[in-house]
Order: sequence, then structure tokens, then C-alpha cells
Amino acid sequence: MSHVEVRSGGAPVTKRGVELVDCDVHAQATEPMLAQYLSAPARRLLERYGRRTPRVTEWYPRARNAGMRVDAWPGKPGHIWGSDPELMRAQLLDEFGIDYAVLEVLSGQDCYDHPDFAAEWNHAINQWQLEEWLSFDPRLRGTIAVPHEYPALAVAEIERRAGDERFVAVLLPASAAEQLGSPKYWPIYEAAAAYGRPVAFHTGGYVDHRGPGYPSYYLEYHVGNGIVMQSQLASMVAGGMFEAVPGLRVVLTECGVAWAAALQWSLDAAWELMRDDHPRLERRPSEYIREHVWFTTQPIEEPDDPKQLVWAIEQAGIGERLLFATDYPHWDFDSPKQALPRVMDASLRRAILCENALELYGLPRERAVP
Amino acid sequence: MDAIDCDVHCAPDSYEALFPHLSEYWRQYITEAGIRVNGLAHAYPRGVGATAPSTYEALADRVLDRRGVRFVILNCLTGFETHRNAYFGAAVASAINDWVREEFLARDEGLRASLVVSTISPEDAVAEIERVGEDRRFVQVLLPVRSDLPWGHKNNHAVFAAARERGLQVALHAWGRAGKAPTPSGFTTTYLEDYVGNQSIAQGQVLSFVSEGVFERFPDLRVVLIECGFAWLPPLLWRFDKDWKGVWREVPWLGRRPSEYVREHFRATTAPAHLPRDPVLLDQLLEMLDGPGMLTYASDYPHEHGDGLAGLLDRLGEEQRRSVMWSTAAELYGLAGNPAASSRA
Repeated sequence: MSHVEVRSGGAPVTKRGVELVDCDVHAQATEPMLAQYLSAPARRLLERYGRRTPRVTEWYPRARNAGMRVDAWPGKPGHIWGSDPELMRAQLLDEFGIDYAVLEVLSGQDCYDHPDFAAEWNHAINQWQLEEWLSFDPRLRGTIAVPHEYPALAVAEIERRAGDERFVAVLLPASAAEQLGSPKYWPIYEAAAAYGRPVAFHTGGYVDHRGPGYPSYYLEYHVGNGIVMQSQLASMVAGGMFEAVPGLRVVLTECGVAWAAALQWSLDAAWELMRDDHPRLERRPSEYIREHVWFTTQPIEEPDDPKQLVWAIEQAGIGERLLFATDYPHWDFDSPKQALPRVMDASLRRAILCENALELYGLPRERAVP
Repeated sequence: MDAIDCDVHCAPDSYEALFPHLSEYWRQYITEAGIRVNGLAHAYPRGVGATAPSTYEALADRVLDRRGVRFVILNCLTGFETHRNAYFGAAVASAINDWVREEFLARDEGLRASLVVSTISPEDAVAEIERVGEDRRFVQVLLPVRSDLPWGHKNNHAVFAAARERGLQVALHAWGRAGKAPTPSGFTTTYLEDYVGNQSIAQGQVLSFVSEGVFERFPDLRVVLIECGFAWLPPLLWRFDKDWKGVWREVPWLGRRPSEYVREHFRATTAPAHLPRDPVLLDQLLEMLDGPGMLTYASDYPHEHGDGLAGLLDRLGEEQRRSVMWSTAAELYGLAGNPAASSRA
């Protein structure tokens, strides 16, 4: 906790060296909160017919506290978990001394709406994020929600928000109509790279459970989120998107970390065996991953022997691209005090808790303390 | 060193080869529809290996005289693409089992095979297990790793019950279910993704078998993952255990941590062994896996997966190497050292 006294125009300003960045915090809007930002026709459509996307919680009920921390219920009229900036500030930013928190509003991630509505809906999410959150506390940073199934509209929204540095990334889901490595989505990636923003892919979206089919339980669904992201990462690499958009940086969010090594071994071995299958890939898949891909920690894997987690991070070569995250206010919140194993050495711990995120998002290393 | 090769492929080179085992209706159906055995072209394109042997002579010539191989488990995947017609699927499965018995098993005491069943209809799968499952040369029921519903689902438990009544285990083999998006994230555009995707799908099946309580209901059941890799197991189990601690009440029939069921009940073949080349990392991985006790040797003839197995065997001591090459499979399938004297447990 280094405090520095700085004089600026006579008035003393206390500054603090940044030590802790939380890269996955969920502000959650109710429909009425967003409706106020919609046009009259879109608002009427929402009120009279609702949205088309099936809600995954209806067939995989969250088996614990509706998927939320019990104590994160604001108890204020019209509010739900994650909708009250004051409660979040008290329970997260102040409680743990978090210097920056990156918001990921998931309300548009399961987006199978008409393009007109999808564009308005995501615009509303960003406007709400800006007015209710980013303007509320200087420690907060936002991510740009986009109607990802309609890339041209998504690009327009990125362009609209790019001038505001508080929006530090573009937010996409981990499941979409096509695999995320598909050229369909490349215009979004190109725009993000052009504006210097990473693309954060967050677990979720509308998951269609292709492959083994629909599981029965939230337990399978939730562990399966990591498996879906593995598959998406294979798609991103094999489809040539990192060759096509060389400046692209992606953040795989809330999908686990420790599987990254095994996937690289597998992709590399397969790449060697069948080079003429994917002529676009000039380099080993692991090289693209180690250059373009960041991971957030929560829900971090917990082996019985904690040193094996450190091994897994080293094996995957992602120590410099691993970002701490709490996932507040969800039930499986990882505490900054406990999530990283004690056997992890101090420099790796500091990189994960702070340095890697400052670097990726270009955040100031000191911040003013009120 | 003696070996049991747990995955060698055989396949009829045309449906006509199965005609002696099919009714007049299906012979006409196949002829008039022009249905061809395509060797699972999406799964095994020419770029990744030769065609599976279609006769005993070809098998003997290409595989059986390999040094040290005492037993071979044959897997015929032809039925993995039997369209969506459940009646056709059941008929083809029966025909394949009869063909495998006649063409291969009857001619060599070192041969064993997976029993193939309808992958669409559990009822038909049970009937086929009842029909041929007493033949002790069949050691396990073979299912494709891709499915419409994860295999652990209660709708499939009758298949496992029928298998266990006859001492059969269950195996999930890579691929299957052409025509639906193969990976959890959708359709693929490269073979690379499709190939590696089998490992993603296998992870989903592991979650399913454990979460559905299959091993509480069938405590002697073993599930063998064939051609699905295994390096992904430790991180999956770390996360599975962690999540289970949070939401265990959703699956109250589990009396132990998920990882304990997996280590006891799953086995995985060594092809592909996509592993780090750095011996330090390889030793770490072996420690994360709690040793090589879940692994059984497979050549996966005629498919190529690189040289990972050699690197793995290099890091193992004599006893561990023997467990991979021989004892784990011998125990799993009840095979004794001399083919003539072996019998299923």
C-alpha cells in the first residue's frame, strides 16, 4: 500500500500504486433499467413480446443460491444481484482494495434477437454501463457489448465507444451461432484491434451443446464451460484468425486456465502430423496462443497439490497473460486473498493480480485516492 | 515386452461383405439406395492413414506379427455412420458382429473385439448385447464418443446393465455421428479441429458418466476412452472436484469426489499421446495423472498419431511400462498371458 503525496495546483492529491485488478465483474441490468435507453418501438417490443433467446437458467437452474452470492442481494426495490453500484463498491472494491475492476455485462451475450433490436439492446447496455457505473466510481472499467451475430452493427457500436478510454475491451460470448474462429466474426476482431481493444470472450452465450449432446445437470454444464472454450480456442487458431488479424488480443474469461497446456500439446502434435490440412497456419498453434491469448483466473482449478496448478500455468506458458478475476457477484466468487495458491512465487502472483492487466489494458500504474 | 493392443481397426470394404448377415430387405435397401462404406471419410481422410484391414489375411500380415503383441482388440467403426434410421443401425450392428466373428475371431485365438450396437436406440443395443454378449471373445460394448445425449444419461443405463450382466465393459471411441456439429462450439472448418475435438467431447462424456451416478449403479463398470487422448484429464478433474464441492446437492447420489470415480472407472488408450517433448513437463504430467495407471497401450492401426507414446514409455520404469503395455488391459479384459488359456473375468 504505497501512498504518494503529490501537489497539483496547490491541492494535495494522494496517489496509490496499483496492486490489484479484477478482470471479471458482473454488473447486471434489469430489463426496465435498459428499457429507458431503447427507442419507443424497441421498448414496446420488449414489453409486449420479450426477447427470443431462451434463458439457459430455465433448463440448467443454478444449483446454488440462483447462481449468486447470497449476500449480494441489494434488498432495494427494483434491484437484483449486481445491479447496485453502491453494494458492489462496498462488497468488492472497498472490501478487497481493488484498484480497477473490469465490468462484463452479460445481458446481451445470449443474443438471438432481430438485428434492429440487438443493436439497440447492446447500445443500451453500454449506455447504462457508462451512466450508472463508469461515472459512479473511477476504479471501474467497462467492456463494449456488441450485437455479435451482426458484425457490421457490432463494428458500429465499437466505433461509437472507442473514444472513451474507460471501455477497455470488446465483449463477446463463448458460444455463438458459428464457431468464434469463423471469418463471419473477423470484422469485429479487426475493429477491436484497430482501436487497440482486446476482445474478451466470456463463458456463456447461447450454448447449443453440440458434440456430446445436452447434459442433465448444472454441474456438467458449468464444468463444461471450460470445455466449450477449449473448442473455441482450437477454432480460433485453426481457422487462421490470428494470421488474419495480427494485432488481435483475446481474453478467455471464466473458463478455467489449467487446460491450456494439454490443448497446446494436442494442437501442436496434430499440426505437425497434417500440415496440408491448414495451410494458413505458418506457425505452431501454441505460438499463436502464447502471443495472442490471455486468460482470467476465476474459476481457477484447485488440484489437491497446489504446486500442480503452478506447473500447469508454466506448462502453458501463460504466466504473463493470466489475469486475476473474482466473478463478483456469482456464487463461485474467487477471493483475492485465497484464490491463488500460497506456493506461487511472489513475482508470478504480482503479475497475475496486477501487472498483466495493467499491461494488457494500458491502465495507469497509480491512481488518485479520494 | 508382451503387449495387448487395445485398438486395431478392421472394416468391411463394402456392404456386400456384410450381405451374408443381412436380410433380403436390407440387402435391397443398401443396393437401391447405393449406400457405400466410405471408411468414415470425415474421420479418417487419406491424409492420416491407410484403410483398415478388411480380411484376416490383411490383418495378420500388417498387425498380428508385430513383436510382443499377444492380444489385439478389434474395433469396427463402420456402424458409426449408420444414418438416422434406427432399424438400419440395429441391422448393421448385428451384421458387423457376425462378420467380425466369422472373418477374424474364429481364426485367431489372440483376437478379441468390441461388440458394436445401435447407437441410436438403447433398446436395440440391449437386444444385440443379449444376442451375442455371451460370446467371450467380445470384451466391451463400443459406442461413438459423439452422441445426441451424453452416454451417462439414464436413458442409456439399460445398455450398461446388459453389458455388466455379461461381464462386458464399455468403450467410447473417437468420432461418430456425422451430420451434426462435431464440437461443443459448432461445425469445424479444418480437420485439425475435428480431430482434436474428439478430446473435448470425451471430456463431456466423462462429466456425464460421473454426474449421472453410473458408477454408483454399476460399481464394476469400466469405461475405456479410445483415441480421445488423456493429457486433458488432470485439469478437468481439478475443476470437476471444485464445482462438485459447490453444487453437490444437485447430484446427491455421488458418495465420493468426481476425480475418485474417474480414476477408478475410466481407462484411456495411448493413441493419441499428444504430450510435451520436454521430459520435465512429461514427468509433471505423469505426476498430475497420478501415474500411468489409467493408460492402456493401443497402436490404433492403421491411423497415425505421431511419436508421443515412445516419449511417454521412455519416462516410465519397468513396472509402469508393463502396466501400460500389458497389465492394465489384462486386468480390464480378464486376459491371461497365454491366449489359449485366457478368459474374461
